Amino acid sequence: MRVALFIPCFVDQFFPQVGVAMVNVLRRLKIEPEFPADQTCCGQPAFNTGFWDEARPLAQRYCEIFAGYDAVVSPSGSCTAMVRHFYPLLGVAPPATYEFTEFLVKHLGVTDVGAAFPAKVTYHDACHALRELGLKDEPRQLLRHVRGLELIEMAQAETCCGFGGTFAVKFPFISTAMADLKVTKIRETGAEYVVSTDSSCLMQLDGYLRRQKIPIQTLHLAEVLAAQ
Amino acid sequence: MNAARENILARVRAALRVTAPPPAAPTGQPVFPPVADPVARFTQELTAVKGELVASLPEFLNSFRLIASSVDLVPGNASVREAELGVTGCECLIAQTGSVVVSTRTSGGRAMAVWPPAHLVIARREQVVPDLAAALALLQHRYAGHWPSQLSWVTGPSRTSDIEKTLVLGAHGPKRLAVYFDA
Amino acid sequence: MNLPEQQFRRDAAVKAGDLNHRATIQRNIGLYHAAVARGKTRFADWNEGRARLAQVKWDAINHLDRYLEQFARNVLANGGHVHWAETGDQAAQIILGLARRRGVRKIVKAKSMTTEEIHLVPALAAAGIQAVETDLGEYICQLRGEPPYHIVTPVMHLSRQDVSRTFQEKLGAPPTDSAEELTMIARRQLRQDFLTADMGVTGANFAVAETGQIALTENEGNIRLTFSLPRIHVAVVGIEKLVPRVADLALFWPMLAHSGTGQAITGTCSLVGGPRRDGEPDGPEEFHVVLLDNGRTRLLADVAQRDALHCIRCGACLNACPVYRTIGGHAYHTTYMGPIGCVITPHLRGRDDWAHLPYASSLCGACAEVCPVNIPVHRHLLQNRRNTAGGWQRLAFKFWAWTVQDPLRYRWAGKFLRCAGPFAKLWTDTREWPAAPAQSFRDWWQKQNPHPNPLPYTARERGLKKISSPPSLGGEDQGEGESRSS
Repeated sequence: MRVALFIPCFVDQFFPQVGVAMVNVLRRLKIEPEFPADQTCCGQPAFNTGFWDEARPLAQRYCEIFAGYDAVVSPSGSCTAMVRHFYPLLGVAPPATYEFTEFLVKHLGVTDVGAAFPAKVTYHDACHALRELGLKDEPRQLLRHVRGLELIEMAQAETCCGFGGTFAVKFPFISTAMADLKVTKIRETGAEYVVSTDSSCLMQLDGYLRRQKIPIQTLHLAEVLAAQ
Repeated sequence: MNAARENILARVRAALRVTAPPPAAPTGQPVFPPVADPVARFTQELTAVKGELVASLPEFLNSFRLIASSVDLVPGNASVREAELGVTGCECLIAQTGSVVVSTRTSGGRAMAVWPPAHLVIARREQVVPDLAAALALLQHRYAGHWPSQLSWVTGPSRTSDIEKTLVLGAHGPKRLAVYFDA
Repeated sequence: MNLPEQQFRRDAAVKAGDLNHRATIQRNIGLYHAAVARGKTRFADWNEGRARLAQVKWDAINHLDRYLEQFARNVLANGGHVHWAETGDQAAQIILGLARRRGVRKIVKAKSMTTEEIHLVPALAAAGIQAVETDLGEYICQLRGEPPYHIVTPVMHLSRQDVSRTFQEKLGAPPTDSAEELTMIARRQLRQDFLTADMGVTGANFAVAETGQIALTENEGNIRLTFSLPRIHVAVVGIEKLVPRVADLALFWPMLAHSGTGQAITGTCSLVGGPRRDGEPDGPEEFHVVLLDNGRTRLLADVAQRDALHCIRCGACLNACPVYRTIGGHAYHTTYMGPIGCVITPHLRGRDDWAHLPYASSLCGACAEVCPVNIPVHRHLLQNRRNTAGGWQRLAFKFWAWTVQDPLRYRWAGKFLRCAGPFAKLWTDTREWPAAPAQSFRDWWQKQNPHPNPLPYTARERGLKKISSPPSLGGEDQGEGESRSS
């Protein structure tokens, strides 16, 4: 099986450790992924803002770059949803693209990747992963098999963190209030870490947590799964 | 207002020259589970919405002095405006939701079932139907082409939760809704 | 920035920072969700119900001319009158004219977003006709001079103490801490109004084409009193309220109730089909339906967004929306708020003035998840954005797209962005900018050498046949694709 990595632009630039973690987990499962280095961005920022014509060439480019692979795997529910559900709205048929946890659980049938991470963890359901890709149980199944990890559900786990792409800077006061509410729920769990499938959510939550000097850390699910 | 009518319909027709794609077809599976024992289910639902099932009619009526009635079984002695209790018949009763269907034909007009602070429905067990679909089918059969001018599906006493989501009974309509099975 | 957007930003910011408001909303919405969770067990197949409602509404809206004509014919056959209003102003004037001709001095009114939309009460007040709101929540809003806060629960934002203070002030009522007593105060007061009103005005939840009846749902009983006691009943009905058959209500009623309040069915569901008939002891002498367009045909003409007209005004999307929960209803400054309001308001009231509303969303999709008629509300928000996107932002995104289409330009942009923190004030006002990592992922990958023979990285290097025109689903303009020589 030829697997390609789709590393979203902000993961590439700001959270490379998430990509590295994903590669390490895949290798542990004896999968050697490829990384077409020409890749850049899926086009979601332009699309979401209403500039479909500007997003379309990026969608077409994605298809060219990832042509020929059995699976494209990405550590982002939101970019995966963009490719899978929104490229057709642009008239572009995408190659088979999977979010990382979806790939592990639904495609490979794996829930135990041999990870160990003894800590109290709570999980945030990233909106696109949850509602566009239907991933509710899969990330939790993976977390439950991590040795030493205690998973504590937060109230309103499914409520949006407030990132929403350009929404975060177009309506920063609403975005921040949403982060504040989310952080309140996170704190109520007593968890040391909040984990999610999307670095965009984690960037939002982390930015707010650190500004408020709250000692809860954010981690991408791939990073937890890579830990041993 | 004929010009407005023609303009609106013209705009509608122009818009509808293109039909929107239909949604995904329903499967045909039942939306609601079947109703096993309609009378028992009705009683359960009625009680759940704080309606009352009357065991003894004389005892129930004892606590009311002024009664407006549209049924022979209970003689009335007051007008709708001054009544403490309105007594009416009904079109049918619905097990699925514990609802009573009243109409201008069965309930002495529009106001008798809603103005007095208490409402008693005299019904027969055979009038209980399983669900809303059955009730509407029954009414359509009974009244197609000559409907009463008003019907109401009444489920429990009148209520509001507008203030702090606190349930209060008897907002504008009856505070008590009771059903007596005469047969 | 236009006035509506300024107002929105100002008021949304105030509410977003108001923790008391947040606590009230959280409490109320928590109760709502608990009720809905309990009510879900009544359904064998909720999604089947949604699919059926979606289909009925699709039929009704896509054959709206036929059903409107059938409805109007049947209203007339029942002894009622039908008026057609192209605009909200026209509708208000029709009712005003009718009221004048019939010597109406006082009107009692049931809750109706449509009557809000046409600004009926101010129009009547300007003509010296008193219109009393009879729904408890609306009555309180009227006394306070505020618009309703939410489609279904108008005073979601007020406490018992707030209401008591209002009643003391405006009605001279004694103070009380009891929701029950407050309700009884309103009941007693409003009974006087029901008895002395000349006209009752309602909206309608549904208009049944087959029978010419309107369907009205409520819990309080004030709607029944409104159409029972005064001598004239007027119903203002948006043209999108049409449903084909009476039998359709068997599913609309319970699903509307469940989504709206978690109930199995709303306390009273009425079918009104005309004035009192011969032999009926009471009821209005006249029944008037005012059919309202007011921009609905514009939305109808937009085929991609037409199904926004399927909305049955349950309010579920408001309750699900994290933005609505943060800023509340008033901040929108529109009749229809929350997700569906953001979708339809630009169509009903003007795309440019209201272009900001569809952007005030994180596109989380919770709205579509709860909609009982399967409207893909969040997809509509994207469409709305597409309808208005332009101006300098288009240039900015063209530049951005140009930058990220080339890997080298993209890399430089990335380096720049990682240092941009201190300049991204809109983010850094309230959140820390992420720390710049020492290297990007691709830097790491390129340094890594997992195999003795490095894998070819690009499609060109892999020697794959270039697709000059990627597989498409048709219907969309391809634009210029990348065509590199192999």
